Amino acid sequence: MSKRRMFFKMITASLLRRRSRMLIALLSIAVGATILAGLVTVYVDVPRQMAASFRSYGANMLLMPGETADLDRQSTDAALSVISEEKLLGATPYRYIYTEFMGNQTGEGKYSTQLKFMTAGTAFDEVQKTSPYFAVEGRYPEAQREALVGKNVANTIGVKLGGNVRIAYDRVKTVNVGETQTELQGSAPGYYDAEVSVTVILDPDGTIKAVAMDLSRQTPFRVAGMTTDSFTDTYGVTHAESFTDQFKGKQLPLILSQSENDPDDYIDAVSGATASSKAVVDAVNAAAEVGVNTDTQQITDTERVTMSFTVVGLLETGGEEEDYIYISQRDMEDLTGEKDRFDVVELSVSGSSEELSAYAGEISDKAGIEARLVKRVTKSEASVLGKLQGLVFLVTLVVLVLTMISVSTTMTAVVSERRKEIGLRKALGASDNSIRVEFLGEGLFLGLLGGVIGAVLGYVFALVVSREVFGSDLQFNILLVPATIIVSMLVSALSCLIPVKRAVAIDPALVLKGE
Amino acid sequence: MSLLEIKNVSKIYGELKALDDVSLSVEKGEWVAIMGPSGSGKSTMMNIIGCMDKPSKGQVLLDGVDISKESGKKLTEIRRDKIGLIFQQFHMVSYLTAVENVMVSQYYHSMPDEKEALEALDRVGLKQRARHLPSQLSGGEQQRVCVARALINHPELILADEPTGNLDEANENIVLDLFKQLHREGTTLIVVTHDPEVGEAAQRMIVLEHGRVAKEVVNQNFEA
Repeated sequence: MSKRRMFFKMITASLLRRRSRMLIALLSIAVGATILAGLVTVYVDVPRQMAASFRSYGANMLLMPGETADLDRQSTDAALSVISEEKLLGATPYRYIYTEFMGNQTGEGKYSTQLKFMTAGTAFDEVQKTSPYFAVEGRYPEAQREALVGKNVANTIGVKLGGNVRIAYDRVKTVNVGETQTELQGSAPGYYDAEVSVTVILDPDGTIKAVAMDLSRQTPFRVAGMTTDSFTDTYGVTHAESFTDQFKGKQLPLILSQSENDPDDYIDAVSGATASSKAVVDAVNAAAEVGVNTDTQQITDTERVTMSFTVVGLLETGGEEEDYIYISQRDMEDLTGEKDRFDVVELSVSGSSEELSAYAGEISDKAGIEARLVKRVTKSEASVLGKLQGLVFLVTLVVLVLTMISVSTTMTAVVSERRKEIGLRKALGASDNSIRVEFLGEGLFLGLLGGVIGAVLGYVFALVVSREVFGSDLQFNILLVPATIIVSMLVSALSCLIPVKRAVAIDPALVLKGE
Repeated sequence: MSLLEIKNVSKIYGELKALDDVSLSVEKGEWVAIMGPSGSGKSTMMNIIGCMDKPSKGQVLLDGVDISKESGKKLTEIRRDKIGLIFQQFHMVSYLTAVENVMVSQYYHSMPDEKEALEALDRVGLKQRARHLPSQLSGGEQQRVCVARALINHPELILADEPTGNLDEANENIVLDLFKQLHREGTTLIVVTHDPEVGEAAQRMIVLEHGRVAKEVVNQNFEA
């Protein structure tokens, strides 16, 4: 038999065959380890439990349109991809629009009542995750054309469960009015460098619609022929149109005729006002160079869409939600004619406020939309969590100290009880170190047994606490088993230090003479 | 050279002289009884011979080594290597079996060897009781286990402290027979006792009185 085997035989025999005292020490270690393992299990699991509990207070993060991106399906998906799947408990998009409640029809386009209400389009299966506190009388809408109506709305319009609400929405449309024309400004030097300026109106196809001249700086008698309904050109040909009428329907740039054989679409100068005529043509061409000053003119128009809904649920929350009518996203799309547009997405995310802040930052960076924390929820969660963990920590510490006192006392008693045996061992030649190692060995073995018992019972204890306090099951953390065993062995060994010191001090001579 | 040589040893506790200039020697293979009434100094003598105490004055040579000046740690080593102890109250480890108790001695000395331990028990006639706990053994049986334990590491010297003090006559005879057997095999025995019958079984009796050697008697009737 090896020395080590004899060592283990001695310490296990001491525990197993001597029972009573050691059983007390074992009991205190086991109880300590049980509470330790239980509390630490709860401690580790508390954030998750708390997060789950706090989720019943509603969403803790909001997505809003950001500076670089609108809130739509694409940006929302990008934002959600930032949050790991198991952390995201729910994501509910909302689209809010002003709608009009239409009472009974009393005539062509006339109704008994017309009241304005906010209508929200949302995903009802997600609503139940992010707003678990919604109290619905009846049920959530499942099919199309079903509505969940806030209590206040229902009272105001006098609608009951199973009744109908007809709501109207004015779709806003943007229309281009008339034809868009382009106005150009230009100028060029004329007679004796006196400036001529023009305003050119272009049709959408780019042809000239009209040209207005400012000839105020020219010598009036010279330019008289430029403004009359007909004029004579430099070749003596009389035109039955005014000088500027020539420009109409022509493309830019214009070319001034230099000889009689030039093509017909060249501009003919006015006889006696050659320089000014040239200046006008130059000014028009210069206007084209200056650039196109587009001026699109738009106006908004509305198109009324009316839709009837069956009231399948009445919503009571005690908050502003009671003033809204909730419809499905499909119906909202039908009502507005717009797809995948949201005003806000409510998220329920499990995690500490630091984690949530990190997520919010990442969402802004990646998706370009704004993510806000609902401070009222996240702050109180962090605060309650901190207090709870502090409490658990404190209790654990107290339990550890109590365990140590108990084990130390018991082991001291054990040493007194075994004075003779220790004296005998020393008389038989045991060194002080052997005695130390043997007692510490017994302590460690005690700690090991107690730790194993404690790890098992502790899990049961934590499970009970979890069920009683949080009403939910526990996530088992396998690492806690070795941790519990190691801690209880350490505590046990520490508790044995003083008793071991006493054991070492025992005089072997006491075995003689039957003292 | 004597196995044990005690030269002018005194042990003084404050005013009290437990041993007063004692000199004696024990040869190898000798069976010596140290006798005397209580307070005569035999316990002190036993502690010093058993390396559990040091004299205030004088020299103690055990197997040529002066143990009067050694440190506690060294004394433990010498005791472990050279001395087998037998006690009045047996002193067995209550939660270990007979054979395990013998092995404890091996454990501190060198290496536990169950076979050897069983042989030692066989020698004292207790092979059948090897797996019994002390509570299941009679006083005589317990003392025989202790004899086996004292023998197991082949010590130079067996030091017995009132070995029969807690035994009835029948068991006393068994133990004394064991001692005779050990003596025949050449084991050196020092038996500290106040029982004349035990003392007279030895080759030589040293009688202490008031910390001094009062007389030495060689047993003429001693039969090896």
